[in-house]
Amino acid sequence: MTRERVGSLIFFAAGVYGLFFSLQLPVGKWNEPGPGVFPLALSSLLSLSGVLWFIQGKSKGSQEGKIDWGRILKNLMTPLQIAGLTAAFIVALQPVGYLAASFLYLLVLFFWVSRYRPWTALGLAALFGVGSWLFFERLLGVQLPAGLFPL
Amino acid sequence: MDVLANIYNGFHTALTLQNIYLCFIGCLWGTVVGVLPGIGPLAGITLLIPATFGLDATGSIIMLAGIYYGAMYGGSTTSILMNIPGESASVVTCIDGYQMTLKGRGGAALFISAWGSWIGGTLSVIGLMLLAPVLANFAMKFGPAEMFSVLLVAFILLGSLGTGSFFKTMPMIFLGLLIGAIGMDPLTATLRFTHGVKELYDGIGFLPVAMGLLGIGEVLSSTKESLVKIVHKVRIRELLPTREELRASWGPIFRGSGIGFFIGLLPGSAHILSSFVSYMVEKRLAQRPEEFGKGRIEGVAAPETANNAATGGAMIPFLGLGIPTGPPAAVMMIALLIHGIRPGPLLISQQPQLFWGLIASMYIGNLILVILNLPLVGIFVNLLRVPFRILFPIILLICLVGTYSVNSSIFELGVLLGFGVVGYIFRELKFDLPPFILAMILGNPMEVAFRQTLMRSGGSFSIFWESPIALTLIVVAGLLFLWNLFRSLKVFVVSWMKALEEG
Repeated sequence: MTRERVGSLIFFAAGVYGLFFSLQLPVGKWNEPGPGVFPLALSSLLSLSGVLWFIQGKSKGSQEGKIDWGRILKNLMTPLQIAGLTAAFIVALQPVGYLAASFLYLLVLFFWVSRYRPWTALGLAALFGVGSWLFFERLLGVQLPAGLFPL
Repeated sequence: MDVLANIYNGFHTALTLQNIYLCFIGCLWGTVVGVLPGIGPLAGITLLIPATFGLDATGSIIMLAGIYYGAMYGGSTTSILMNIPGESASVVTCIDGYQMTLKGRGGAALFISAWGSWIGGTLSVIGLMLLAPVLANFAMKFGPAEMFSVLLVAFILLGSLGTGSFFKTMPMIFLGLLIGAIGMDPLTATLRFTHGVKELYDGIGFLPVAMGLLGIGEVLSSTKESLVKIVHKVRIRELLPTREELRASWGPIFRGSGIGFFIGLLPGSAHILSSFVSYMVEKRLAQRPEEFGKGRIEGVAAPETANNAATGGAMIPFLGLGIPTGPPAAVMMIALLIHGIRPGPLLISQQPQLFWGLIASMYIGNLILVILNLPLVGIFVNLLRVPFRILFPIILLICLVGTYSVNSSIFELGVLLGFGVVGYIFRELKFDLPPFILAMILGNPMEVAFRQTLMRSGGSFSIFWESPIALTLIVVAGLLFLWNLFRSLKVFVVSWMKALEEG
C-alpha cells in the first residue's frame, strides 16, 4: 500500500460524503445558484481526484512511496498517548477546573510520555501548570474554568 | 508626497510604547521559533493569536508580523551553527553556512545573514509601501467576477508552486474549500453539513483548525524525533566578516532582495522557493561555482536575504487584495478576522492607521532583529539545549488554552484535537497542509463571488469574458492548468511505460 493509494482513498471517501449530502441541498438555477452548487462541484472534483490519484499510484513502481507500516506502528504509541491524554484533559477541563486539569495533564505527560522521574515531573507540572494559569488568567485576562477550585 | 505623509503617520502609530513593546515581543518570539526546530513561524504565529485578544487590531498585527519576519532571521542561526534548518526557508543556508562554521567563520556567516536579512527586509517593506496602495486602488474596480477569477488563479498558482505536485495539491485545496462550506450558507442561510450540531452553524472555526493542524499535529509528528545535537559556540569578536566577505556579499544581497520580493508575491512556499532560486542564481553567476557548498559567503547572503525579502512581497496581496498567498499570512488573516477586520482593497482607506502603522513597525522590527540576532545570538543558541520533551507539553497547553479563550467552547477543543490527529496523518502521508488552510479561509469569499457573478449576469457565463480583467485571469488560470496537466501526463506516461517494462 503506497501513500498515494491511502491518500486517494481518503479523498475519494471525503468526495463521496460531500456528494451524498450536497445532493440534498438545493442547487437553484443558473441565474440564482443555490447553496448546493459549490459543495456539489467540489465533492465531484474531490472524488475524481481520488480516482485519478489511485490509478496513478498503481502505475508507479511497487516500492515507490510504499508505506512502512512497521515504522508507523512503532512510532504510533507516543502520538496515541498524547492524543488520549489531551482528550481526557478536554473532558475534565470544565468539571475539574483549569488549574487541577492542567496540573494533572502536565504531570502525566512529563512522567509517562517524557519519562521524567516522578519528583521532576511533579515539579515541572506544578511550575508550568500554575505558571500558565497566572499567565493566561491573571496576565492576559482569559476566563478559565474554576471547576473544583475557585480562586 | 501622500506616501511620505502616510508613513509619517505610520511611524507616529508604531512609535508608541505599547506598539514598540509588541513589535519587540513579536520579533523576540519569532527569533525563538525560528531557532527552535519543531516549531515553525506558522505555529509560532498561531500560538500567539490568543495573546492578541486583549489588544487592538493594530497592535495585534504588529506583533504577529514581527513573529513572521523574525522567524526568517532566527532560522539561519541553527542552519549555520548546527546544519539544522530552524525553519524550512533556511534549508539552503545549511549548505554553505555550516561549512563556514567548520572553517571557523560561523560568526561572519551569522553577521552577513543578519545584515542581508535587514537589507532584504527593509527594501521589501519599501516595495510593500509603494505597491500595496496601488494594488488596492486597482482592486477597488473589482466586482465579483474579477474577485472569483483572482482567487481561481491564486489557487491554481498555489497548486503549481506548492511543495507537492499539482494533482496532489489540488485535492487538498478542494478538501479545504469543502470544509469551509460547513455551516450556514452566506447567501441563503441554509445549513450545510451540520447534521444538527448547533456548534457547526457558524462553520468550523479557523483557529482550532489551524492550531490543530500546525500546533498539535506538529507536536504529534515531532515526538518521534531525537534532539541530541552538537552546538558550535561563537564569540562576539568572531562575528565581524572580512572586507572581502563584505564586498562579495553586496551583489547577492541586492539580487536576493529583488528575487525574494517578487517571488513573495506568488502563492505557495514563497520563502523556500525564493531562497532556492536566489542560491541557484548566485551559483550560476559565480566565477568559481564549484566552490559553492564548501563555505562561500554568497551561499549564505543570497538565500537569507531572499527569504526575508519574500515577507514584504507576500504582504502585498494579503493586505491589498485580502488574499493571503502563504500560510503565515493566512494565519494573520485569522487574527484580523477575529478582531473584526477583513484585509482587502478597502483596508488601506478604512484602516490607514493599521496599514501604515504596520509598515512603519516593519522598519522598526527589522532593526530590532539585527540587534537581537547579532550580539544576543549566544542566548538563542542556548535555547536549543532545552529538551523538546519539556517544550511539547507547553505547546500543547498553549494550543488548548488559546482555542478555549476564543469562545470558551469544549466543542472547539474537540475540533482542535481532531484536526491535530488529521494533521499528524497528513504529515505521515506527506500531504501539503498550507493549501488546505488557505482554501478553508478563502472558500466562502470565492463561492460568494461566483454566485453573485451569476446572479448579476442572469445566469450567463459571458460576464467572465466581458470583463478584460476577469478574462485575462481566467486565460492565465487555464494556461497554468494545461501546463500542469501536460507535466503530470508526461510523468504518468513515463511511469506507466516503466511499470509495463517491469512486467
